[in-house]
Amino acid sequence: MIATVDSVAAVQEAVLVSDRLLPVGAQTKPALSAVTDPGTVRLDCAGLSGISAYDPAELTLTAAAGTPIVELADALAAHGQYLPFDPPLAAAGATLAGTVAAGLSGAGAQRYGGLRDFIIGVEFVDGRGRHVHGGGRVVKNAAGFDLPKLMVGSLGRLGVIVAVSLKVFPRARAHRTLAATFASPAAALDTIGVLNRGPLALEALDLTSEGRLLVRLGGDDGTLTALTERAEATIGTACERIDGPEEAAMWAASAALTALRGNGDRASENPSDSDAPSGDLIRIPLTPPQLPPLSTALTAAGARHRFSRGASVAWAHWPADRTLTELSDRLADLGLGGQRLWGRPGPPLLGTVPGGPFADRVRAALDPDHRFPEL
Amino acid sequence: MEIIAALGELGLGERLLTTPAALAAFSCDGLTAFTARPCAAVLAESTAEVVATVRACHATGTPFVARGSGTSLSGGSLPVAGGVLIALNRLNRVLSIDPESRTAVLEPGVINLDVSRAAAAHGLAYAPDPSSQSVCSIGGNLAFNSGGAHCLRHGMTANHILGMTVVLPDGELTTLGGPSREGLGPDWTGMFCGSEGLFGIAVEVTVSLIPIAEATATFLAAYDSLSAAGDAVSAIVAAGLLPVAMEIMDALAIEAAEASVKPRYPPAAALLIVELEGDRDTVAADTTALEALIAVSGAVSVTHTADPEERALIWKGRKSAFSAVGWLAPDYIVQDGVVPRTQLGRALAEVEALSAAAGIRVANVFHAGDGNLHPLILFDGAEAGALERAEQLAADILSMCVRLGGSITGEHGVGVEKRAHLPLMFSPDDLTLMGEIRRSVDPGELANRGKMLVPMAEGTAA
Amino acid sequence: MRHTIATDTLGPRGPALTAPIDACVHCGFCLPSCPTYVTLGEEMDSPRGRILLMKEVLEGTLELDSALPYLDNCLGCQACETACPSGVHYGELITGFRAHVEPVRRRPAAARLQRRLLLETLPFPRRFALAARLGRPARALAERLPSPLAAMLALIPDRLPPAAPLPARMPAQGPRRARVALLAGCAQQVLDPDINWAALRVLAANGIETVIPPGQACCGALAMHTGASERARPLARANLAAFPTDVDAIITTAAGCGSGMREYGLLLAGEPDAEAGAALAERVCDVATFLDRVGLIAPPPLPEPITVAYHDACHLAHAQRERTAPRRLLGAIDGLTLVEPAEWELCCGSAGTYNVEHPELARRLGARKAANLRATGAELIVTANIGCLTQIGLHLREAGVEMALLHTVQVLDRAYAHALKGAPPR
Repeated sequence: MIATVDSVAAVQEAVLVSDRLLPVGAQTKPALSAVTDPGTVRLDCAGLSGISAYDPAELTLTAAAGTPIVELADALAAHGQYLPFDPPLAAAGATLAGTVAAGLSGAGAQRYGGLRDFIIGVEFVDGRGRHVHGGGRVVKNAAGFDLPKLMVGSLGRLGVIVAVSLKVFPRARAHRTLAATFASPAAALDTIGVLNRGPLALEALDLTSEGRLLVRLGGDDGTLTALTERAEATIGTACERIDGPEEAAMWAASAALTALRGNGDRASENPSDSDAPSGDLIRIPLTPPQLPPLSTALTAAGARHRFSRGASVAWAHWPADRTLTELSDRLADLGLGGQRLWGRPGPPLLGTVPGGPFADRVRAALDPDHRFPEL
Repeated sequence: MEIIAALGELGLGERLLTTPAALAAFSCDGLTAFTARPCAAVLAESTAEVVATVRACHATGTPFVARGSGTSLSGGSLPVAGGVLIALNRLNRVLSIDPESRTAVLEPGVINLDVSRAAAAHGLAYAPDPSSQSVCSIGGNLAFNSGGAHCLRHGMTANHILGMTVVLPDGELTTLGGPSREGLGPDWTGMFCGSEGLFGIAVEVTVSLIPIAEATATFLAAYDSLSAAGDAVSAIVAAGLLPVAMEIMDALAIEAAEASVKPRYPPAAALLIVELEGDRDTVAADTTALEALIAVSGAVSVTHTADPEERALIWKGRKSAFSAVGWLAPDYIVQDGVVPRTQLGRALAEVEALSAAAGIRVANVFHAGDGNLHPLILFDGAEAGALERAEQLAADILSMCVRLGGSITGEHGVGVEKRAHLPLMFSPDDLTLMGEIRRSVDPGELANRGKMLVPMAEGTAA
Repeated sequence: MRHTIATDTLGPRGPALTAPIDACVHCGFCLPSCPTYVTLGEEMDSPRGRILLMKEVLEGTLELDSALPYLDNCLGCQACETACPSGVHYGELITGFRAHVEPVRRRPAAARLQRRLLLETLPFPRRFALAARLGRPARALAERLPSPLAAMLALIPDRLPPAAPLPARMPAQGPRRARVALLAGCAQQVLDPDINWAALRVLAANGIETVIPPGQACCGALAMHTGASERARPLARANLAAFPTDVDAIITTAAGCGSGMREYGLLLAGEPDAEAGAALAERVCDVATFLDRVGLIAPPPLPEPITVAYHDACHLAHAQRERTAPRRLLGAIDGLTLVEPAEWELCCGSAGTYNVEHPELARRLGARKAANLRATGAELIVTANIGCLTQIGLHLREAGVEMALLHTVQVLDRAYAHALKGAPPR
């Protein structure tokens, strides 16, 4: 059952009258907005929309939960600014709160950090129906518990986010991507390490399962030439230079996760299309030393994948002919965990899942009546 | 006492301190306006000892306070009278550094600056740099989400903490987060950071490291008014530049710094320090752009340097500014309010007016890029009523910060000192929820009782 | 920091006691520079912790006996003053406090005996030389003696160099650029008379005439820094009488003596000769500072290069704020490469009689200092204080390291004489 809300008061009321509920936005990550218990009310928050505060000189922005990411990006771009954590699935309609609840950062987080580094304030309705605030609207703030960070990755299970404040940064004026191919992902690892520790602040550092290393540079027209030469010298292999609209389109496709959708290369235009479940998209946090074993395991299972943020995360397509249990076991064997964004019915988190007594106790305070689904 | 007997069974030997002198030495932190005598201090040397001590406290219902170097400016490590003080400064080993992952695993007593010293061999550094970085410890940085001069680009402590092992207030040991820069599930790590010790004690901390900047350029620009310096900051942001630090000091703060560490600042009503950092080509390009911006900003004089020793001296002057105020007055209260960056000029004018109305001198040192003010309210505690007048001025300044859309604390934390001001920022519901979270984690309110939130024992929550 | 001490009840030294407490803001910047805090890791053994203890004792909220063990642990190195951004004169506080409480404190019998032996022997060269000779056979009994006495015996050198009495005057070579008076000192003159001789030759080579006034006494620092002002004052007065006022400076070659004499004003505060004491203190100057001020005539280039680590003696670096002059002097020697040891600010553990009174702490600090100096890879260690030379030499030997050790003026002296290489390990 879907209930639509367009005000905070309506959210509060919905929480109080529902025994079980889960907030949803544009549902661009269907595995996270799916419910197993048919009695669960899905609370559509897309109606809570709009930027309530944005002053470019402040480098901060506040918007309602359902505001589409593209709307934020357009407003920022008009002033040469951007969301440095580079949220994915914007073109598909992802919302601000959906992105926060899913805890998603994109390839661009290589430069300045992820979502948790840019969220500065949050408003949400807790499990008792109270409208509460955490953090604030200024870039630096140490007052009270850091509820904004807690909402990052909360999957709608700790409260219904109604508004979010973010820190933003000026965006590089020009971009260029260097592509170099290595025999395998593992073979590219040394180069990733050197770039990660090197002096150049990269806009993105990704690696495909085919061993294609993508190094995105940002600057202005003047510095880009120098950065290119230095990056190429570090990579040491022949690099293809990609510029202009082709370069932008390439990263847009990456943010849309097109290549990792089901149905092979015949990508479904609508990732929430549940008619053709053809595998699962999963996000796997890792560290660079964990790349080779994970790469081997994914390749063995026929799972297309992409490493991002300098080998801090893997995005993988787990084929439909492999069970989720197998995936979960593989991840656990490697000491890793994963988050499913879409695919067959099942739990959102797999493998080694964080939690423990601290999580249980905080959750008990936020949702004492268990109105939200289990994590 | 029951707790002393329980601690006596832990085999701590001379590391269980109960003499009057030992307890006197631990009776306050960097905020000397508040003091309290614990009943015992434990110099822990292992996680097992921290767990055992916390369990003993839990079993006997005794409040405990963890402390690293005791440098809190908000009374964050003030003991609870009659409670147990757990000193973590001896837990100061860098357990490991993984250059491939750009992470380090630390004990909580590691001195902030020692992390960068240890990481330097790998070309890496630990970004957060509170002014007390030569003394303060990672555990305290984590508990209070410390900031520093370079937050503008690099963020605060919580942005650099990836995972931790913590002792919960009942002595249970648990792990939050992990070594990856990418998270999974709710950010429990982020929630624990800045919780001011109310959720327990971090005993092992995984931090992220950044590459040591290849190039820096540090600008010193002198202005004839604070508002002119503040306008320059806005102009720099508007131009799309992203310095790593933008700091302003007023004439009184400059005077204190010159009396103390003699940084040879130019004489000015307001001094703007701007630092650029990055690869050499970007820094060169940004230097040109910044020179042009400052040239038209009304600066009386401007210099910039890439020399490491000159840069170190500039920052030494800035980072010693709080303590250097000891040269100007016997006592001071440092405040930590934040205002939106565009409100800086207005906020400074209000501070000036409040200072004049109260007849109390205020020196200003602040992280201009973050809108984080540090008014230093000077007074002489020997004068009757002087402390109370200074505290009233501090309260007025904080109210003004919140009125302008800011915060009562940017980086020092609420502690005991700003507890009464928390309702300026948060609604009763907000504070009730925070109290409920606290008591869900720590029903007895034993961990750092009395900091940030008013405990049930003292009255209604929040 | 606020306090409730009634300054006017503390006598003439009152302001020196309360001003540092006023100025301290308890920020903790002193912690990493304090040798006892770094070694023991407890707040009571830190500068700001001790200030808190002294404050509470003076306020009457803390028993003196409870605080004393921690106050006694302080080496008086004053590294905390170098680190302090608030300008706290900690040295004046601890010295003044020790003198203030000395009349009322109780010591165990063995400690009392040790203290008397030290204060009645060390400051008097003849007694010290005699005691050293007499004490040597007693070392066999060390195990059966109370530990304070055993610790004293351990420090007696195996052999003393032959006595080398100083002349009354050393003329300048070439045109005279300055005229100074030298404090001969006590223990140093017994343990290594070559240091003063080297100073005389180096001063002469730089056109400086030196007089060594007869009737001078020990500087009194040892007594002054351990609370025995009543023993220090007669020594200071002897020096007030002995030293002429028509010289450009009073030169000290031991950093501890220099810093001691520079405190005569405070020592004699409230006495009729307080002003004279303060005036003499103003003219006291370490030999390195003076040479640097006058302008060193560069020694001839060394025949072969040498790497030197300079160890900052606390009483020069912290108490007299002099770190540049010795480095500039050594740097003027062509062929000499100066390297810097880690943790320069940490005391070596010598600190006057500290290595006798607190042998275990002194041993840990000495070993740490020796390791840091050894890690520089230098061939020669240079410093400005006889105590440091003795302590570092002892700990290098214990670590089985053969490294040469010299005073700054000995290096210059040998450089002028083309004889720098091959200095014997101390």
